[in-house]
Amino acid sequence: MKKFKALLIKDLQINKKTLMIPLWITAGFYLLILLISAVAYLSGDLNFNFADIQGTPPSESINYIVNIAIMGLPGLISLIFIIILTQGALNENIRNNSELFHRSQPVSIWYQSASRYIVGIAGNWLALFTIAIFNFIVIAIILAVTDKFIFGLAISGMAQSVISFMKTGIIIGSLTFFCSAIFKDKAFLQGLAIIVGVQFLFIILNALMQWHLPLPLNYIIKLINVATPSGMDNELVNENIVYYIREAWMRIVINWNTLLQIGVSGVLFVTATLIYKSREIK
Amino acid sequence: MIQKNVIKVSNLTKYYGKFKALDNVEIEIPAGRIIGLLGKNGAGKSTFMRCILGFLKHKGEIEILGNPIRRHQESVHENIAFIPDVNSLDDRLTVKQTMDYVSAINSSWNNTKAMELLASSDLKPQQKVANLSKGMKTKLYLLITLSLDVTVLLLDEPTLGLDIVFRKEFFNTILGEFYDENKTIIISTHQVEEVEQILQDIIFIDEGKIILQEDIDELKKQYSIFTVPSDQREKLEQHNPKIISNTLGKVSAVLDSKVEIAEAQVSRPTLSDLFLEMVGGSNEKI
Repeated sequence: MKKFKALLIKDLQINKKTLMIPLWITAGFYLLILLISAVAYLSGDLNFNFADIQGTPPSESINYIVNIAIMGLPGLISLIFIIILTQGALNENIRNNSELFHRSQPVSIWYQSASRYIVGIAGNWLALFTIAIFNFIVIAIILAVTDKFIFGLAISGMAQSVISFMKTGIIIGSLTFFCSAIFKDKAFLQGLAIIVGVQFLFIILNALMQWHLPLPLNYIIKLINVATPSGMDNELVNENIVYYIREAWMRIVINWNTLLQIGVSGVLFVTATLIYKSREIK
Repeated sequence: MIQKNVIKVSNLTKYYGKFKALDNVEIEIPAGRIIGLLGKNGAGKSTFMRCILGFLKHKGEIEILGNPIRRHQESVHENIAFIPDVNSLDDRLTVKQTMDYVSAINSSWNNTKAMELLASSDLKPQQKVANLSKGMKTKLYLLITLSLDVTVLLLDEPTLGLDIVFRKEFFNTILGEFYDENKTIIISTHQVEEVEQILQDIIFIDEGKIILQEDIDELKKQYSIFTVPSDQREKLEQHNPKIISNTLGKVSAVLDSKVEIAEAQVSRPTLSDLFLEMVGGSNEKI
């Protein structure tokens, strides 16, 4: 365990700057909003009134809705950075000319691979969670001022949004990690190009030969597709919000798709590590 | 004295596509020796070392410290330290992070020794490896390697690109801080002049084949350099040397010490002379 901890620390140190970028982007957004607000305030154009929120339907469910909505952009950024980190996970040392140094250490290749996988995916989850907590606090303060803050609804919105992106992240990250075991450069793009290529080939073959070949992209999209907290509209009223949230938990977490995602991610990790292990080190 | 072998290689063959990089190599490397692996560029030195460590797929049998090596096994690095080109350190870490990482994953790490070596060097712990000069990287590599209590040290062209001062310092440090009679050092290099004084055995490799493995002192006794005036070149040619060198109105060649040539000057050969005689060079038979 001591060795694995050392690997995790090392991989975090190496990827620290990349992992921090989503946090800096979020901080930049907040700074921009503050700047715009300050300029508007100084020029007398700032007419925001917390009381305006009153009467905006649905008044209580806004705790849930805003916490989901505000995580959209950080969630997408997190997915991009998961791809960036995992596509280089098994190749970055080769590019950096340090593969021999790392492989000459008495530490299991499974540990080495797992450490990079965890830092690439869970590292970004951690960044996303940090942003979510910060956003949650900001929204809580704003809503508390207007006496609308309801902790249960707000935390459900934040948690469901974060978990949705985490689930998408693990499957996209695992696919990209797998690609990094096969392709030594631009693993994600090369993997995507092959999948799209096969997809088109199968579509053409199905059309020409009247076959029913399964389309890989469809399966992947189905696998990635997380039942995000959607379907909300202005009809969502306070009376049915609790029911909606409960139902959303079932759609997002407690279902077979979650199990399938974890299983497929595990298989992709194991396969990628076996391919990496069998590589020659020149 | 019967010495235990630390490395035993039988029928080792390695192909890169259709190119045969190692050709049926058979070798036994005894414990407690400093061995030079000498060969031209592309002779198979690095391939040989990487096969020994299981980094490359190969045919044949390899045993390290009695354990068969079929593919890369991390456990082999508990007893063997490997220094390839010093540029293979991870540039993204700092000096301290590198030391912390290596110390945490190596049970044989000697922290007292590491601190002593760090104090005696001018390495700054917070400095990024990427910002170190090649000489400083060498010091860091030496520091982390010498702080490990391993029995075998494999050096694959470790001083490539270093200036003469660092090259000398590198080998002196290895000799002073690492070597004792229980440890084995294998140095792959083509800059043989700098290691000649510290080597005990030599292995010549050419075109993937081991063409010689010998105790250096014995080898030097077996051969001598014979020098004659240029107009007596045929006296050397009679003994079929691979290379005859021209120098200031004289010609010389490495021949068996038992050879007798009247009026020839006889001197002791260097490893380079012996290597050229055994392997040949670009000016062969000129």
